[in-house]
This record gives sequence, C-alpha cells and structure tokens, in this order.
Amino acid sequence: MTPAGGLISLLVGTVLLRLTLTGTYGRYVRLGMGPWLAVAGVAVIILGSVTLLQALRHAHPVDAHDHHRGDGGDRVGWLLLAPIAALLLVAPPALGSYGVGRAAEVEIRSGGGIFDQLVPGAAPVPMTLLEFGQRAFDHDGASFNSAAVQLTGFVAAGEQGGFRLARYQIACCAADAAPVVVRVIGPGGGHALDQWVTVTGVFQPGGGKVPELAATNIVEVPAPDDPYE
Amino acid sequence: MVVAAAALRPQLEQFLDRPAVAHWATVFVAIAVQAMPFLVLGVVVSATVAALVPAGFLPGLLPRSPALAVPMAAAAGAALPGCECGSVPIAGRLLARGVLPGAALAFLLSAPAINPVVLTATAVAFPGRPEVVVARFLASLLAATVVGLVWARIGRDELLERVLRRRSEQGRPLAVLVATAQHDLLQAGGFLIVGAATAATLQTVVPRSVLDTVAGSDLLAFLALAGLAVALAICSEADAFVAASLTQFSLSARLAFMVVGPMVDVKLIALQAGTFGRGFVVRFAPLTLVVALASSAVIGRWLL
Repeated sequence: MTPAGGLISLLVGTVLLRLTLTGTYGRYVRLGMGPWLAVAGVAVIILGSVTLLQALRHAHPVDAHDHHRGDGGDRVGWLLLAPIAALLLVAPPALGSYGVGRAAEVEIRSGGGIFDQLVPGAAPVPMTLLEFGQRAFDHDGASFNSAAVQLTGFVAAGEQGGFRLARYQIACCAADAAPVVVRVIGPGGGHALDQWVTVTGVFQPGGGKVPELAATNIVEVPAPDDPYE
Repeated sequence: MVVAAAALRPQLEQFLDRPAVAHWATVFVAIAVQAMPFLVLGVVVSATVAALVPAGFLPGLLPRSPALAVPMAAAAGAALPGCECGSVPIAGRLLARGVLPGAALAFLLSAPAINPVVLTATAVAFPGRPEVVVARFLASLLAATVVGLVWARIGRDELLERVLRRRSEQGRPLAVLVATAQHDLLQAGGFLIVGAATAATLQTVVPRSVLDTVAGSDLLAFLALAGLAVALAICSEADAFVAASLTQFSLSARLAFMVVGPMVDVKLIALQAGTFGRGFVVRFAPLTLVVALASSAVIGRWLL
C-alpha cells in the first residue's frame, strides 16, 4: 500500500491545489478557506511525494501499520479517489434551485440591524439578497426610501407575473447552505431555472413573508466567482 | 483506469444534469473539501506528537485520578481551534501515548464544541442572545465530562485496543512524522469520504420540511433536531447558523442540535470507526448521544 498510498496523497494534494488555483473551490466552500486549502494541498503533496520516493528507492520506510494488519483500515484510503474522480471529470456545479424549497431558509429577522436610508434618484445600489430581506423587514422597508437597488442571484422558480430569485448563504461549506429568496415582479420572465440574473428595481412593500422587488430591468449574467453570499 | 474514466465522462456529465444528482455531488464534494484542511492539521499535529514528544510526557500532564483528569481534559478542548475532523486523530494519539482513555475521549468530544472559534460563530449566529453561547459551552463541557467519567468507570478499554496497542514507531523523527501522517491521513480520509457520502445522501433525500411536522411537540422537536444534527454532519463552526435558521423550534431543541452535532454525526461515526474500531463506536456513539441529549435538556431548562 505504501507506493499506492503515496500516489493517492499526491493526487489528493494536487486536486486541492488545483481547486484553489482555478477558483473552483468557491462552489463548495467559503472563499476565505482558499489559503487553508492551498496549505493543506501542499502539505499533502509533500507527504505523498516523500512516501512515494522512499517506496521507490527501496529504502525501508518506517512501518506505521504495526497494529492489526488486514483490518481493512488501509484499503479504505482508496475511497479518497471518489471525490477526486468527480472533481477531475466534471466538477459538480454550485448549489442551485433544486435545494431552495428543501433547505431551511435564512432567518432574515435574526441578523437585523439599523440601516442607513438610501438616496433615491442616485445610481441603483447593489446589495446582497440578505441585506434586501433585512431592510424589507426593518420597519417594512422604510430604509429603501424608494431608491433603486440591484440584486444578483439565480432563478429558483417561475411564478405568475415574475419569478423567485435566490442565493445561498454559507457559513463553512455547501452542506450548511441556506437560501435567501426574493420575489421579482416585472417584465421579461421566461428565464431558465438556475439562470443567473442581475435585477434592478425598487422594493415593493406589503409582500408578506417573501420580500418583493418590482423590477425595471433584468439582465442575464454568467455565474459569479463566488456563487454564495 | 484513466482511460475508463475518460470514456465514462459523457455518461457522468449526463448523470450530473439531473438536479438531485448534482445537488448530492456538490454537497458530497463540499463536505470532503471543507474537512481536508482540518483533517490535515489533525494528522500533522498527531504525527508531530508521535515523532517529537517523548513517551510518558503527555500522561504526566494530567492528574492520576479520573475525577480530576477527565474534567481537565474536557476543559483543555477549548484550546484546539478547529472542528471535529481534526480532533479525532489527535485524540487517537493521546490514547496511543497512554493518556487515560476517559480523559482522551472527553477531549475528543469537547474540543470541536467549546473552542473560541465555534463559540464566536455561535455568538454571531444568535446576536443579542449571549445565553445561547453560555448554554452551548456549559452543556458541551458537561456532556464531554460525563461521557469521559462514565467511560473511566465502566468503559472497556480493550475496545480501544487498536489505538492503545499502537506502538511508537522507530526511526528518525522526520521519517516517523511522514510515515505516521501519511498512514493516518489515508485511513481517516477514507472514512471521511464514507461519512460525507452518507450526509450528502440524507441531505438530498430527506426534505427539511419533514421537520415542520414535529415542531409543535417539545419532546419530538428535541429528538428530531438531535437526529437532524446526526444526519446533516455539519461542521461545528457552521452549525450555529443552521440552528439559528430553525426558528420554528424552541431554543432548547436548537441547543440539543448544537451540542449533539459536534459529538455524534454520521461523518464522525465513520471517522471514529476508522480510527478506534467499530466495536468501540457502536457503544460510544449511543452513550454520547444520550448524555448529550440529557445535558442539553438540563442546561436548556436552566438557562434558555
């Protein structure tokens, strides 16, 4: 197992490093994890290379498996190849509309703060869906002051007269993702599910549990580098 | 193998076009990628101890009496910033180095739950509710200590034979470090994959709306959220945010979610089975679950 084990480590490290360098890791974990993934990748590459070199040189590598042999514990390392194969062949996409109805939604009211008033008439203010929702629940959206805002997210579901726009919040990785959903009312429509869009519009009060945005402009955009908020 | 994989690529791409499969694959890869830095940290710390710290040093740090050693080890968990994946190999090393098993296990349980990073995340997730942070700290510390003391009293150490019998490797320190880290990484990593696949499957198959049906009943809600923590296998640094979003449940039930999650979940059960052995886990995980639930109930009733 030693040379094979070295090779597996080498592969694991290379894939971690590649994920970091290409930025693909943003689909799975928070962007802030990047440096740690790179450090872990390099450490595992060193570990794998040294093990491989020792095994190939026919030196006597230190035998660390002097406990039960044949307990299946060593073979289990091969399982690490499963996510590697998945990542090398087709990197799974960022989470999309499938999970929106299934996961618990972000509790918008829990993080509420006091927001500065926006200035109407100025250029549209880009903001996260979370901030939009929090402003909507703060005094029924008084802080919007009828100013135009700009939201970027993916189409989660079609609806009468518009669609649901969503984006996930993640704390660590995609396993803890929770979506924020905004109802977009307005022109256009007919966007494919999971299509990323940037919507410009104004907050529409009285929308109930899901905050509403009356859209004036909807542009299809490519998926952002960081698909999460 | 590479050729076969390349030939399978179109089929794989087609398969991933199904939303449920893509969702599963993303969550699976996310858990594996997320855990790697912590796992690497854990095995490197563990291997460094194996290579550099003289035998007999670690047991000497703790008092002989379990009644003192176990709570001290549980409290020492606060000093390891990280989450549960890293603490498994480190606890394994403590056991191999002759630390009292009850104390090493108390450390294993408390480290992912009461370190400053996790408590800070909890404070951020529950703004203006410092009692949640205090309750999480106390309930986790209490549960870890009780499990450690129970193990010290009635636990069968022969179940841990696999780690206890692991002799110190001989050789130059650097060679020992590399060989130990390499071996531990593959073993723990392989079991981590089993856990990640299980958690991804449960997340994809079971809709969260199932929970709403039990939110009304206190006892059911309490048990359901503990079960959810076991099934979701969320990193302990992130679980407070999920707990904060489960607003239809009482704070006590959400406390159980945060106390159980870092101690027992499908990913951890797989990791512990790989490190300590199956015979150990089938006894240790249920014991931990029951104690963690009881501890959350007591502290929740008192503080929340």
